[in-house]
Amino acid sequence: MRQSHTGDGPGPALLLPVVLALCLLLAGCAGLPTAREMGDMALLRTLGVDPSPAGVAVTGSTGPRARGLQGEGEAALTLEADQASLSAACLAMQGQTDSYVFFGYVDQLLLGQALAEEGVRPVLDYFARNAELGLGAQLWLVRGAAAREALSAGGDQGIDARLETLQKDGEMGIANLTRTAGEVYADLLELGCAYAPALSPAGDAALAETGYGILKGDALAGFLEGQEARGLDLLVGGSAADVAEVELPDNRVSVKITSASTKSRLEFQGDVPSALKITCKIEARLSEYQERPVGEGMTALQAELERQERACLEAALKRLQAWGADCAGLGARAGTAHPARWRAIQEDWSEWFSRVPVKIQVTVRVM
Amino acid sequence: MSKSEANAPHPRREPRLPGPLSLARLEEVFSDCVDFSKRQVYLHGDSRRRATVCYVDGQARSERLNDYVLRPLAQDPMLATAPESQLFDLLERGALYAHGAKRETELDPVVFALINGSCALFLEGRDDCLLFPVATEEKRSVGEPENEPALKGARDSFVESLRTNTSLVRRRMRAPELKIQEHIVGRQSLTPVDMLWIDGIADPDTVALLSARLDAIDIDGVEAAGSLEEYLVDAVRSPFPMMPYTQRPDRFCQGLLEGRVGLFADGIPLGWLLPGTIDQFFKTGQDRAYHWLVASALSVIRWLCALITLLMPGLYIALVTFHPEAIPPKLALSIVAAKQEVPFSTIFEVLIMLLAFEVIQEAGLRLPGPIGATVSILGGLVVGNAAVDAHIVSPAVLIAVAIAGVAGYTQPSQDFGNALRLWRFLLAILASLGGLTGLALGCAGLIYHLAGLESFGVPYLAPFTTGTRVPRGHPSLLRLPLPMMKWRDGPIKTRNRRNQR
Repeated sequence: MRQSHTGDGPGPALLLPVVLALCLLLAGCAGLPTAREMGDMALLRTLGVDPSPAGVAVTGSTGPRARGLQGEGEAALTLEADQASLSAACLAMQGQTDSYVFFGYVDQLLLGQALAEEGVRPVLDYFARNAELGLGAQLWLVRGAAAREALSAGGDQGIDARLETLQKDGEMGIANLTRTAGEVYADLLELGCAYAPALSPAGDAALAETGYGILKGDALAGFLEGQEARGLDLLVGGSAADVAEVELPDNRVSVKITSASTKSRLEFQGDVPSALKITCKIEARLSEYQERPVGEGMTALQAELERQERACLEAALKRLQAWGADCAGLGARAGTAHPARWRAIQEDWSEWFSRVPVKIQVTVRVM
Repeated sequence: MSKSEANAPHPRREPRLPGPLSLARLEEVFSDCVDFSKRQVYLHGDSRRRATVCYVDGQARSERLNDYVLRPLAQDPMLATAPESQLFDLLERGALYAHGAKRETELDPVVFALINGSCALFLEGRDDCLLFPVATEEKRSVGEPENEPALKGARDSFVESLRTNTSLVRRRMRAPELKIQEHIVGRQSLTPVDMLWIDGIADPDTVALLSARLDAIDIDGVEAAGSLEEYLVDAVRSPFPMMPYTQRPDRFCQGLLEGRVGLFADGIPLGWLLPGTIDQFFKTGQDRAYHWLVASALSVIRWLCALITLLMPGLYIALVTFHPEAIPPKLALSIVAAKQEVPFSTIFEVLIMLLAFEVIQEAGLRLPGPIGATVSILGGLVVGNAAVDAHIVSPAVLIAVAIAGVAGYTQPSQDFGNALRLWRFLLAILASLGGLTGLALGCAGLIYHLAGLESFGVPYLAPFTTGTRVPRGHPSLLRLPLPMMKWRDGPIKTRNRRNQR
C-alpha cells in the first residue's frame, strides 16, 4: 500500500529545537508560569495607602465573596501592614492570611490626605511597575482622614461596593468624574498636575463625595468642592449632569443640565499669550416648572443659567490659577491650534496659566 | 520457508478459479455450500433433452427463476423440436425471458455470476453454459437521512445497495458525462466499489489517483467505512477525517458538481466526496436551501463553535490556574465563590469532567434509545447536580465543559467533531502544564499538523492556504447568494471553473 505523505516538513531533530525556542519566546524567556488555585486566593479589591512612622501603611480589603476559602456572606478580609516600603508592606500582607493574597483585582486605590500632601508619585510608580496591580485601579483621595479609616468605614462588607457604585455613577454623569491611577499618573507626567475625586468618611459606614483634590507636581495642592468642583466638571467637559434652580418672575423652574462641551483657545500678542478664551456650550432640559417659559421668559431663563454656570467656571479657574495647576489641560488643548507658539511656552505654562487673563463665554440651550 | 517469506504478502491469484467450465467442476467449487442448488429439467417434457439449472439460493429470486427460466424450458414446444445444434443458440437469443444471457466457457466468471444472483443453464453433453441474471433485489428501502435531517429539501438517503445509490445520483444528474467506474475490493468480500465523477469537470488526475489507490487495496473484506478510508487517505495517523461523506444524494451531487470525485461501496449507506478539504466538514446539506444570510450566520456559528469546543477547557484551565488577572473581576469573584470547598485542583476537575462527559456520551450511544436518554439524564443532570451540591466539582467547571461539549455537537461531521474532542484533551493537558503558553504551543502544533495534511494532492487547509495563485470559488466561512457563486474552487483542480452564466 501507499505510504502517507504529509509534505516534506522538518525532521524531528530540527523540530525539537524549534519547538523549544518557540516555548522560550512565548514564555517571555522567563520559564513557564506558576499554577495557583483561585479557590485558595484572597482577591484584594481595595487598597489604601497612608504614611506611617515606619514608612508606609498599606490596608487591603477583599470585600465580600472574594476571600478565597472563606464562605459566602462572611465578613470581608482586611489586611494591614506598616513597613518601610510598599513592596515590603504587600509582602507582609501575604503572611497574614492562609490564602494567597492576589493583587491583580485591585480596582480601587485610596490615598490618604497625608500621603497626598507628601507626594503620590512613589505609589503610582509602584502600581505602574507591579505586574499584578497595574494602573487600571480607580484613584480616590481621602479628604481629612487616612485611607485606613475610610476602608474601615465599610465595616464587614468593605467599601468596594460603595466605590463601585460611585464609579458607575460617575460614568453615567450623576456623580463626580472618576479617574484611574493611570490617568492621574499620565496627567502628572504630561501636565504637571492632575485632579482626582475626593471622598471623606461620613459615618454610618458610608463615604461621601467631597469634590476633587488637585495634585500639583505630585503633592496635593488643595480641594475643589461645591461650585468650584462643578466648574472643574465643566472645564474638563466630562459628565455635567446637574440640576439648576432658577427663580423667574412668577415662575420657579428646575432645569437639568444634560451635556456640556468646553473648548479653549489661546490668543497671542506676538509669541506671548494674551488671553485664554474658554467657550462652554451647555444643553439643558426643563424638568420642573409652574408654567413653561417661552419668549422673554425663556431668554431670561437662559441668561440666568449662563450666569450661574459662568460663576462656576470662574470660581474653579480662580482656584486653579492660584495654584498654577491647569489640570483640565486647557493650555494643551488650546496649543494644538498654535503648535509652534505652544512649544515655546509649554515649559512655563504653569506660570503663564496663573497670570493670563481668562475670557469665558457660556451658551446655554434649553430644550 | 523463512519467517519473512511466510509473512510476505501473497499475490492475488487472477483468475481465482482457472480452467475450463464443467458442471462437475462447478459442483466441486460449491461443495459444502448448502445454498448451492441445481435443478434438472426436461425440455418440453422430452426426457432425451435435459438441461440443468444451477443457482445459489437466496441470491437468485425464485419468481424470476421459475417464470423466466424454468417455465419456458418446460413449456416451450420449440425447445423439443428444434435441432440440437441450434438449441443453445435459441436459448441464448430469446427462448428464455431474461433481459440478459451470456455464454461462458470458463469456470471463474460462472462461479462469481452465481454468487451475484445469476443462474447457469447447462445442456446435457456440453460443458459451456448460459448465464441469466435473476438476482434478488431484497434491500432496505430508501428512507430519510438520519444523520443529516432535512427541514427544507429532499428526504431520500443512500442505502446499502450500491446500484440503488448510483441510480439515486443518476436520477439527479442526467448528463451522460456522469461516469461510473467499478472496482472490486476485498479478497473474500469482493465488494463492488464505484467511483463517480463528471467528465469535463472533475480533475482526471484525481480520478486516476483514486482508481490506482482502489486497485492497490488488497484486504480481506470491506465491512466498514474505515476499510476504505484508512487505505485511501494520505495521512492515516491524523485524527482528522480526510474523506467527507454524506448520506444525502443532493449533497453528494453538489459535490460532484463542484468537481469532486464520488465514491460508493456496496453495503455502506453513504457516499464519499474527494478530495476532502477542511471547509467540507463545516457545510451542511441545508446551506443552499436556507436564505444566504441565515446560512452564512449559521456557518460562522459552526466555525466559532469549533473553536469553542477545542479551546474552552484549555482556556479555562489556563486562565483560572495560571493567569487569573486576565479574568474580568466579577467573573473571577463568581469562580472563586464556586470553587470554595471543592477539594480538587482545577486541572484535575476539568480533565475528569471531560472524561466523564465522554463516558456519559459513550454510554448513551451504546444503549438503546430510551435507556440511552435515561443514562444521559441521570449522568448529566442528576449526578452533575449532586456533584456540584456536594462540592465535588465546581459549577464553573461543569459549565465550561458542558459548553465545550455542546458546541462540539454543532459540527455537521461527526468524524471532525471526534478529532476536535481528541485535540481538546491534548490542549487541556498542555494548558495544565504551561497555561496560555502551553495552549498557544498546542494551537501552533495543531495548525502545523493541519497545514501538513493533504488529500489526493490537495492541501487540507486548501480554502485558506492556497494563497493568491490558486483562484478560490467563494468565501469558505460565508455562503454568498447563489447567483454570485459563479466559480468552482480552484484548489480541487477542476477542469471547468465556471458553473453558471
